[in-house]
Order: sequence, then structure tokens, then C-alpha cells
Amino acid sequence: MKKTIAIVEDERAIRDNYAAAFSREGYAVRGYPNRREAMSAFAARLPDLAVIDISLEDEPEGGFELCRELRGLSAELPIIFLTARDSELDAVSGLRLGADDFLTKDLSLAHLIARVNALFRRVDALRRPPEEKQVIHRGALSLDGERMSVTWNGQVVLLSLTEFWIVYALTKHPGHVKNRQQLMDAANVVLDDNTITSHIKRIRRKFQVVDENFDAVHTVYGMGYRWVE
Amino acid sequence: MNRFLELLKTGPISGFRLRTKLLLLALTTLALPWAGCQYAREMETVLRESEQQSLLAVTTTIAGSLKGRNELLFRADSLSGSEDSNPRDITPVVLAGVPLIDGRADEWDSNARNLVRVAGPGGDSLRLLAATHERWLYLALLVRDDRWIFDASEINPLNPETLGDRVWLAFDDKRGGQQRVFFGSTGPGAVHARRIETQEYGREEAVEETRIQAMWQRSRDGWVLEIGIPMSMVGQHLGVLIDDRDRRGARRNSYGTLESSDLRATGRLIAASPDLNDHLRQFSQPGVELTVTASSGAVLTRLDAPALPGDYTRMRGFLPRMYRVFLDGGAIPRSVSQADRERAQQDLIERAAKGAPATALFSGRYENSVIVAAAAPILAADGKHVVGVIQLAQTADRWLTLRDQALTRLLNLTLFVTLFAVGAAFWFAGRMTLRISRLGAASETALSREGSLSRVLPESEARDELGDLSRSFSSLLGRLDEYTGYLRTLAGKLAHEIRTPLTIIRSSLENLESEAQSSGGMGENARVYVARAREGSERLGAILTAMGAATRVEEAIAHSERQRFDLAALVRATVEAYGTAFPHRRFVCEVPAEAIEMNGAPELVVQMLDKLVDNAVDFSPDGATISVSLQANETEVGISVANPGPPLPPEADTKLFESLWQSRAEGDTPQGRQRPHFGLGLYIVRLIAEFHGGSARATNLPDNSGAVISVRLTR
Repeated sequence: MKKTIAIVEDERAIRDNYAAAFSREGYAVRGYPNRREAMSAFAARLPDLAVIDISLEDEPEGGFELCRELRGLSAELPIIFLTARDSELDAVSGLRLGADDFLTKDLSLAHLIARVNALFRRVDALRRPPEEKQVIHRGALSLDGERMSVTWNGQVVLLSLTEFWIVYALTKHPGHVKNRQQLMDAANVVLDDNTITSHIKRIRRKFQVVDENFDAVHTVYGMGYRWVE
Repeated sequence: MNRFLELLKTGPISGFRLRTKLLLLALTTLALPWAGCQYAREMETVLRESEQQSLLAVTTTIAGSLKGRNELLFRADSLSGSEDSNPRDITPVVLAGVPLIDGRADEWDSNARNLVRVAGPGGDSLRLLAATHERWLYLALLVRDDRWIFDASEINPLNPETLGDRVWLAFDDKRGGQQRVFFGSTGPGAVHARRIETQEYGREEAVEETRIQAMWQRSRDGWVLEIGIPMSMVGQHLGVLIDDRDRRGARRNSYGTLESSDLRATGRLIAASPDLNDHLRQFSQPGVELTVTASSGAVLTRLDAPALPGDYTRMRGFLPRMYRVFLDGGAIPRSVSQADRERAQQDLIERAAKGAPATALFSGRYENSVIVAAAAPILAADGKHVVGVIQLAQTADRWLTLRDQALTRLLNLTLFVTLFAVGAAFWFAGRMTLRISRLGAASETALSREGSLSRVLPESEARDELGDLSRSFSSLLGRLDEYTGYLRTLAGKLAHEIRTPLTIIRSSLENLESEAQSSGGMGENARVYVARAREGSERLGAILTAMGAATRVEEAIAHSERQRFDLAALVRATVEAYGTAFPHRRFVCEVPAEAIEMNGAPELVVQMLDKLVDNAVDFSPDGATISVSLQANETEVGISVANPGPPLPPEADTKLFESLWQSRAEGDTPQGRQRPHFGLGLYIVRLIAEFHGGSARATNLPDNSGAVISVRLTR
């Protein structure tokens, strides 16, 4: 059965373009122009994944509200924020509301589809029992590439998809410096330096939530970052 | 009014600073002393007039007391002065002291008004002078004579054969008879007056008149005979006659004021009554000169010359002198010669002699002294004829001193007030200027080039117009702030708004490509067009990112946390990395070997270095050497990045670090066309330097071969 993706986007052309791209990939797509229509549809039937724009018609923060309500309906449903905004604050609030990823509309469709696929893979993986061979162990860290989940000292660290891929890229070859471009490639995003920096900061903070003394991500000035065990 | 305002705006003072204008305005208080002077002059005029009036009143009173009292005015036995004057009249002057009868002319004023001049034969001449003192009459005969012939010694004075030069003096006696005495010259020295008396048998004899004193002396051009006669001997008429002989016993040439035929005196002796002085003394006041003249102007008596000028001339010193110069200003005649004074006095007397009292003002004998005089006619008993004139004169010291004291006080005061006003105006103007320029400076810097506003202006607490101005500035700035806020968010909003259609274009293109792929590819041309469209949309995307860069840096700075880190290691590592990032440049790193700990945000410092190096790379040619150096002291660190290349334009130092300013010309740098530039690089450098409590500045290399950007950070 086809996976259903809900696109909540007030700009009809974008919505239809995304819908077309997803359809080509074999997904069933339903588009909604605003929060009201989306919610009434979601109440009847939840999609398998939701791509939500932040500002929806007359509600500048409608996407956030929708995300909150949707999380109320389902804790596992993957949610991707897709927005023309690129401010740090929006990203933080979006992720804090439980979105799995926060993307700007600069992202190419290919990248977007890669993410969507990845998220579905993760959902699937979470449903299956964990397979050890997919899990990378780096000291206190275990990283499940399939489920895209991370634990530190056995405690789950909730990372967004982008953050997960950054950590994944860093830990694949511990001690190797990854420059910004490499990290961006790994995360399938086009970001500027500041955004990478803030992603790294957020990753450190999320690890520090479970371990105050976390200090595995090192900055190599002028070069990039590396994972130190 | 409008014209006046126009003048203020465009007139001669429009170009001055506020301070100068107010100073000029303050100078208008100088009108105060001017007004004071005018007032003082008015006051002086009133004082002078009242002085003149009171003097005139006294004069008129004295004149009234003498009205019809000829016996007081003139000697009882002299004629009243009312008759027509006669050139032979003798009007003695009144002397203040007893003259010395020594036969010398030097104590006589040979130019005196009462001089009687008689021409004799052969260039000879007589000048007759007369004076009285107390009850004596003094005569001086100044005779020009080419030859002074003496009488023969031991002669009969009546024998013409023995006679030399001889002087006859004839006068009425009190009983109406004629008295004749003669002075025969026996040589220089005292001579006796002799009278010819007819003795019994008709014998004539010369008898000495011992009451008359005389002295005969030689003078430069002839001789002088000085005679003293008791006034009591003399009646109404008096005259002298000179018998001039060229040799002893020669025929006489007679000339003088007597009839030469019968030696009768026809010239009158006009002299004051001895009682006149006693009468006048009751009216005399110190400092007031009292003069009585006959109607002809001949002085009968004079009492108390005006006292020496008092306080007035003694008021010396620079200021009073100056005040006087521009006060007196021509109100008082300045002529000080004796003749001028005499003439003025004479004019006054002549005016009074015509029957009307008069006053006059003339300058006195001393510098700055002024004499005020009043004259009134003395009428005969019939109340019609003028028999004499009485004149009172006094120095005007009293009111001049009064005026000057008042004026000096007034002027000193107004001068002080003016100085104070000027000082106050200057102070006020200075303060006002300071306040205005402070407000001006604040309002000038309130809006920075980046559009951030500081809304706290000075003077906003002040309750005057400047406060109002400051407050309206503040509200203006507030509105401006809203507007610039709008403008600042406009870029973000615009970027956001453009991003949506850009996304539409981009996603459509991607869809198009995907569709084309699945349906067997598109034509060659179509692929080119799609590729161009993609390229265009990517550039548009880059532009949007660049537009938001400054805002993102500001946000990043706002969320930055400080930590201690080793700046030396950071710079070293970063510069090393640039070597690989920019393979066409050489990098020289001058960093101290020891660790330089500083408190800051390392990622921001790295970003700052990125921008500095970006800038250096952009402006330097391929293969150039870019040097990055780091110095540190106790409190600060300095990072400078130098690159060879074009020197900075002169205005660059201030503008370089402002947002959206760039000195690069189109195509200036190879990278210029490829990367969208908003001149944000060095602005971000500045923001980061300021976050670290420092600053950034740009200079040219000493030989203008390139530029150095230096950043100072606090540790």
C-alpha cells in the first residue's frame, strides 16, 4: 500500500510541484492549503508523513500550531517543516515542537525526497526489532543507522534528521576532521556556515542534556569538526 | 517686520555664529550709557540755565539797588557816564594792589582797553594809562620821544630858555577851579609836581605840590612818567599835555589831552565812587566776580575775581576725562585766549548796556574751566537811561562737578552693566550653542548608517524651546526608527517573499527534468534552457542568502556565548586552513609562540578572520602574499591582515566598515562577478570586533602597495 504524504502549504504551485515529485516516487499525496482543512482531514485519517509550511494563509505561525496538534494525535508521525524562513529562532521552535526535520525551501526536490525516504526508513526500522549490525558503537555512543536513532550511555538522544546525519558523518571516521561542506553533503542540505555552527551547537546541547560532561564534538578552527572518543 | 526678518536671515549678521549674534545684540546695551549721556546733558542744560537765571536774578537785584544812585556809582564830583563819550576821557582801571611808582612801564598793560593814545609831532606819541587803587589815581605816560631834553640845572623853571621836555597835568578841583601842575625833567628819577602861583606884584613862582608823587625814567624808545595823585584832589576832568622840545629852550611842540592854548582839561575822569565797593561788598559771594562798568563799557570797579577752578578740573583720571570729551561735545566754547575772553565779556556788557539783562557762557582761564556770567543794566533815576552795567561771573565748577560726578557714576554703572550684559550674553550664547551643538551632534549620530537608532537625546528634560526641539527630534527619530525598522525587516520580508516564487520555479524545473527523464529526455536546446534557468534561480537564491547574511550574523552574535580559548592556536590553525582554501595565495602567519588566552566567541573570531581573508584575497592578485599577524598585550589583542593590491580610497577608513559599502569597482576582482556582494564582509568584521569590545580600522601600507585591516579586541 502506498505511503501517504500530507503537504500543508498555502502556495498552490509549490504544493502541486511537491505533490508531483512525491507522486513520481510512488507516494500518495494529499495537499491542504491551511491548518483547518488539514486538521479536519487528519482527524479522519492520519497520513504517514507530513510536510508543513510554517505560515499558512492568514496564520503566520499556523504550521507550528498544526505540528503541535498533529503531535497530539500521533507521537511517531514524521513531521518535516519546510519553510521560506531561515531564521535560527524558527528552526529551534520547530524542532522543539517535535518536528523531525526543519528544511528551507532552498532545498532541492531530490534532497527533499531523500529525506522523506530516510524518514520512512526510520519509521520502518523502528517497527522492526533492532539489528545489531547496523549499530555503530563509539564508546558511550551507539548509533543506529537504520532507525536513525542515537543513544549516549544507553540514553536516547533525540536528534533531528539533519543532526543525525551530521553526527553520523562525524562518527563514521572518528578523529577525522569533517569540514562544513562535507557535513552539508552528508546531511543533504545546503546551509551557510552559521547554520552548520548552530547545528553543531544544538547537537552538543542535546548530548549535554543526557551527559553534562559531553565533549566529543571538537571544533577545528578553520577546518571543521571532528568526533573525539 | 518682514523686511527686518529678511535682513536677519540674509543681512550682514546672517553669516555669524549664534554666539557672535548674541554678542552683537548685547552690545546694544551700549545705548544705555548713550541715553545716560543724553540725560546728563539735559540735566546739565537745566542746571546751567538755572544757574544763569539765579545769577541773573542776583545781578538784576544789585542793578536794582543801584538804580538812580549815581552818587554810589560814580564819584560824587565826576560826571555821570550817560553823556557821550569823549576820546580824551580817562577811565582808570581798578587795581587789586598798590602799584609801585618807579617809572617803569612793565607793570602796566600797554594794550589795556582804557589806553588813551595821542600822536605827537615827528613820530612822537603818548600812551596814557590810568588806574585807581583805594583812593589814589595812578597815571602812566608812555612816551615815544627821540630826544629827551632835560631842564638846565639851577634854572628858573619859568624861564623858557632853560626849559627841556615838560609834562602838564591839569584837572578840576572840587570847587570847580582849574588846577595845573607841571613836571619838569631834571633827569631820570623822582620828580616833583610844581604849580605856578602868582605872588604879590604879579610875580610868578613855581611851588611844589607835595601830594603828587611822580617818577620819570628813560624807556626803550623814549621815557615813562608815572604819577600818583590822591583821588580827593581831582574833580570831574583831567588831562595831560606834553611840551616836547628838540633842544633846551627851543620852541615847544605840545600834544596831549589838554587844550594846548589854555591848558584846560576837557577829558573826563570816569571813576567809581569810593562807596561803590562798600555797597557792592554786601552782595559779594565767594567765587563770584562782580564788575561794574559805565555804560561805555569802562570798568568802574571789580570785586573778587572768580576763585580758582575747584573740583572740576581736579577730576582727572582716564575715564572722567574720556567721558568729558564726549559729553561736552561743543556745548561750551573752547577758546581760552585772554582776548577771546575779554571780547566775550565785552559783548555781554554791550548787550546789557542796550537795556536788557543777558547771560553768557565762556571758557575760563584754566583748562576745562567754564565761566558763567550775567549782566544787567543800571538805570538812571528816570528808569530809561542806562548809566552802567553790572556783571556777575562765576566759574561753572559747581554744576560741572555735579554733572560729572553724576555722569561718572552713571557711566561707570552702565559700563559695568554693559560688561555684565555682554558677559551674560556671551555665557548664555555659549551655553545655548553648546546645548544646540550637543543636540545637533546627538541627532546627527542618532541614526547610524546601519539604520540603528539611539533615541535618547540630550536636553529632552529641558523645559524650554530646546527641550521641545529635543522632544520633537525624539518623536521624529521614533518615527524614523519605526521606518528604518520596517526597512531593515524589508530585506528579510522581501527575501521571504521572493523565496516562495523562487521555490516554485526551482521545483517546477526539477519536476520538468524528472518528467523529461521518465518520458525519454528532452531536446538539446530544452536542456540548455533548463540549465540556464536553474543557474539563474541558484544565483537568485545566493543573492537572497547574502541579503540575509548581516541579520543572521547579528542573530548569531546575540546568541553567542563567551568562553576562554587560545587565540594564537586558533589563528595559526585557521591561517593554515586558508592555505588549502585559497591555493593561489601565499599566507604568512606572524603569531607569538605562546598561548594567548582570551575571552570570546571562537567561532565568531573565525568568521571574522574568514571575512578579513576573503577581503584580502578579493583585492590581491594571484600569487600574492597575505600576511596575518597577531599581537597581544595585557588587555588587548590586535589582529591585522595585510594584502598587496590597490590602496584604499581616502574615504574608506570611515565607510569601509559600514553595511552595504564597498569600494570595489565592477569587475575589480575576479571573484566580483561570481559571488553576490553586499559589502557586508567588513561590516561583519566590525560587528564581531565590537562584540569583543574592540574596533576595526583600515589603513594603506606605508608605500601604498596595499591595504591593512587591523582589528583590536579586548582579552
